[in-house]
Amino acid sequence: MKLGIYIHIPFCKQKCYYCDFPSYAGKEACQDAYLDALLFEIRKEGRAYQDRIVDTVFFGGGTPSVLPKEALPRIIAALRESFTLADDAEVSAEANPGTVDKEKLTAWREAGIDRISFGVQSFHDSLLRNIGRIHTAEQATDAIKLAREAGFDNINLDLIYGLPSQTVAMLEDDVKRAVSLGIEHISVYGLIVEEDTVLEAMVDEGKVTLPSDEDEEAMYDHVTTHLEDIGYHRYEISNYARDGKVCRHNLKYWQFADYLGLGSAAHSFVAGKRFANERSIDDYIRRMTEEGTARLDDEAETIEELRGEYVFLALRTTEGIDTEDFQKTFGMDFFVQYGDIINRMMTQGLLMRDGRYVRLTKLGMKYGNRVFAQFV
Amino acid sequence: MNKKNIRNFCIIAHIDHGKSTIADRLIEYTGALSKREMESQVLDSMDLERERGITIKAQSVRLQYTAKDGETYMLNLIDTPGHVDFTYEVSRSLAACEGALLIVDAAQGIEAQTLANVYLALEHDLEIIPIINKIDLPSADPDRVKQEIEDVIGLDTSNAVLASAKTGEGIPDILERIVEYVPEPQGDDDKPLQALIFDSHFDAYKGVIAYVRVMDGTIKPGMQLKMMATKKTFDVTEVGVFRPHLANVDGLYAGQVGFVAGSIKNVQDVRVGDTITSVENPAAEALPGYRKVTPMVYCGLYPVDTADYDALKDALEKLQLNDASLVFEPETSAALGFGYRCGFLGLLHMDVVQERLEREYKLNLITTAPSVIYHVYKTDGEMIKIDNPSDLPSPQQIDHIDEPYVRASVIVPNDFVGTVMELSQEKRGEFKEITYLDETRVTVVYHLPLSEIIYDYFDRLKSSTRGYASLDYELCGYQTSKLVKLDILLNGDPVDALSVIVHKDKAAQRGRTLAEKLKGIIPRQMFEIPIQAVVGSKVIARETVRAMRKDVLAKCYGGDITRKRKLLEKQKEGKKRMKQVGSVEVPQEAFMAILKIDD
Repeated sequence: MKLGIYIHIPFCKQKCYYCDFPSYAGKEACQDAYLDALLFEIRKEGRAYQDRIVDTVFFGGGTPSVLPKEALPRIIAALRESFTLADDAEVSAEANPGTVDKEKLTAWREAGIDRISFGVQSFHDSLLRNIGRIHTAEQATDAIKLAREAGFDNINLDLIYGLPSQTVAMLEDDVKRAVSLGIEHISVYGLIVEEDTVLEAMVDEGKVTLPSDEDEEAMYDHVTTHLEDIGYHRYEISNYARDGKVCRHNLKYWQFADYLGLGSAAHSFVAGKRFANERSIDDYIRRMTEEGTARLDDEAETIEELRGEYVFLALRTTEGIDTEDFQKTFGMDFFVQYGDIINRMMTQGLLMRDGRYVRLTKLGMKYGNRVFAQFV
Repeated sequence: MNKKNIRNFCIIAHIDHGKSTIADRLIEYTGALSKREMESQVLDSMDLERERGITIKAQSVRLQYTAKDGETYMLNLIDTPGHVDFTYEVSRSLAACEGALLIVDAAQGIEAQTLANVYLALEHDLEIIPIINKIDLPSADPDRVKQEIEDVIGLDTSNAVLASAKTGEGIPDILERIVEYVPEPQGDDDKPLQALIFDSHFDAYKGVIAYVRVMDGTIKPGMQLKMMATKKTFDVTEVGVFRPHLANVDGLYAGQVGFVAGSIKNVQDVRVGDTITSVENPAAEALPGYRKVTPMVYCGLYPVDTADYDALKDALEKLQLNDASLVFEPETSAALGFGYRCGFLGLLHMDVVQERLEREYKLNLITTAPSVIYHVYKTDGEMIKIDNPSDLPSPQQIDHIDEPYVRASVIVPNDFVGTVMELSQEKRGEFKEITYLDETRVTVVYHLPLSEIIYDYFDRLKSSTRGYASLDYELCGYQTSKLVKLDILLNGDPVDALSVIVHKDKAAQRGRTLAEKLKGIIPRQMFEIPIQAVVGSKVIARETVRAMRKDVLAKCYGGDITRKRKLLEKQKEGKKRMKQVGSVEVPQEAFMAILKIDD
């Protein structure tokens, strides 16, 4: 049995204004203690997963690249000791262009990281400043060059559309510049103003102006058509890959595959059960030290809830739901279970059926939430 | 007990003038209930009544009072509903009494409903004792209010009591005045039975319990009785009085107030105003004044979730057990599915029923705009009564339409006379008269279409007079009006539940406001939704709900799927409050939009 491993690095130099992820600035003093706790957790969990072959590892955050260059290699070494890593395992790490240099990237590459994901968001400095990013467009371009020099041949770049003051032309330019860098993978997310973020306050106070709905739609349309036109395959609502270089780790989330989350706030899904660790860094370290675990009481999910998740996650991929796999997983016929909804959604042009697969149409991708909400 | 020691009285007051608190103090003072048993405002026993400070159902209580003359008296207080919707019920309660306490707020003076009820009381020859309440208020002006009572009603206020239900001041005086001024009841225990039904309620164990005032004769358990209007007969199983809880007695005699229970299943058989007599020795005729109460206002009630249809029926039936004036029958709407057309005495009655259904029966309902009963004269000479705009025949088949008018009396400080007249004029009112109550306050009388009253007349009257105006109205007949049906089209399809009948000259304005209002309520969907207001084939207003451009989830953080699922579940919950009308999802409040337009 395969297993994906997610490792959370909750540190940032500065919290981006839109971010509501469990990441913190100004907690550098905890880094050593955090690494110790994390290494402890790796060794402990490794014993429980002896029968598993780990075929993907993903360092997310936060900002994994804020850690000193030897941190990630140490973690990987511990993983290799405690778990069985496949020879061809995909090992990804997220990086902020403002926190990498040649030495760090080289150390990462040598430790076995083979995929790097840069949070670029935009190539317009004025937009980056608006959302509290610590890097410039030039740093992003340089970082990607450095990564190439360090030997990375699988690079992703995150872009965000719908940023304050962003115009359709600026977004088109962002896409153009991303593509010109020759990267293998692009993730493009629409900005969401989340509750209790700095951005929300800025929007409420009128300090920033978001693009109109029409402009945001034009941005979405541009991204979805243009990237496909030039050879990036859209394999998930927000993700595009060239030459089959999809992110195998992220696919696990959508394909209902098992993954183990390590570190604070990390989420796991193993053998049909979801569980998570303490969200705050301090609680994680304290419990790891005192109790040897930082697991939160898991909220047991009903089979119906799991089924809903299976469906909306699979629908995020362009492959869609493999109804035979659904049958095998839940022991029931997909069409019998959801016939009415499928018919309704098909009439509305949101869903389509293709042999054993049921997937979102182009229109359905655009209104994904409306479809997903039917299944939960 | 000797008739000379019985006093039957009721209380007349405007909302908020302190009727229920005075009643409570009387109960407390005479010890009908111990302090511990006293809930605030004992007589308004429904939660809703207490919240709104109104009495919906009449209640009754028997008080035992030893007066200063050393004799013990039986005082029967009949609490009356205090709202224009229930005028007929009030008149029946008054008919059961010989006297009335007229409670007037010492700061606010006489209001329209007080006046209407005082006139009713005078029609029934009741002895009226003025009570000036709330004299503890800093703004109290008892002398002015007394003068007003003398000038306006022509009552002698020399026996008026100055009271404060809050502090208890004046309560003993009220009891003494009742004994002194309210005449003892007449009647003969041995004559054929005539008992007036002034209310009823349904008890799960005893069946329908009729509240009666015995005029002549005697009621005892075991007798066979007959309702003279409905012709139903029943055997008396229990008779009793209100203390205020039901307490059995061996018999009810002429002049007394109490309850009768028998094997009566249906509240419809026990109509307020009907006369009960005995089968063995029946009275020659019924007491005067009975009429069948008919609803004035109709609306559609639909469950948001179609699965609740049976639950709605069940709840309406249960409410009807205690409310003979509520009528309903199944109705189908193309937009809303299966529901009920319900008839009410007025807007408050409608509100109360709707709120009880939602609160006590946990039903999630869509209410369509209320409608009056129109008399539609067709070209073929036939006249049909319409209470649902969807039932209106096509314009070619209509010769003319008559609508109900009311005589509306508004009491208002004279500074606002112009405002009231302007509003009434705008609401198609015909000016009838204006009379001065005193130097500062006037009564303005208009004939107004009832449909305008139930639309927004009262709300606007209140807001444009800063709350000073009070309104009373009674049906005064039907008049021909130029009426048309205003339809709403969503995405090109007419939505029957949004149709209204309006005056021709107002259709354009109403159409515009309604379309604008709906635009604000209907959420953006995947496609653009035109909203059109049309009369016949003519579009009189158009608005557009722009399309929702996209609806995609944000980045999914580190495999936290549960959170995403919860977000989607929330979205799904929101959808449940929507009604799918053709291709458009319409929130339930859209159907009330017609009611709540503030133009």
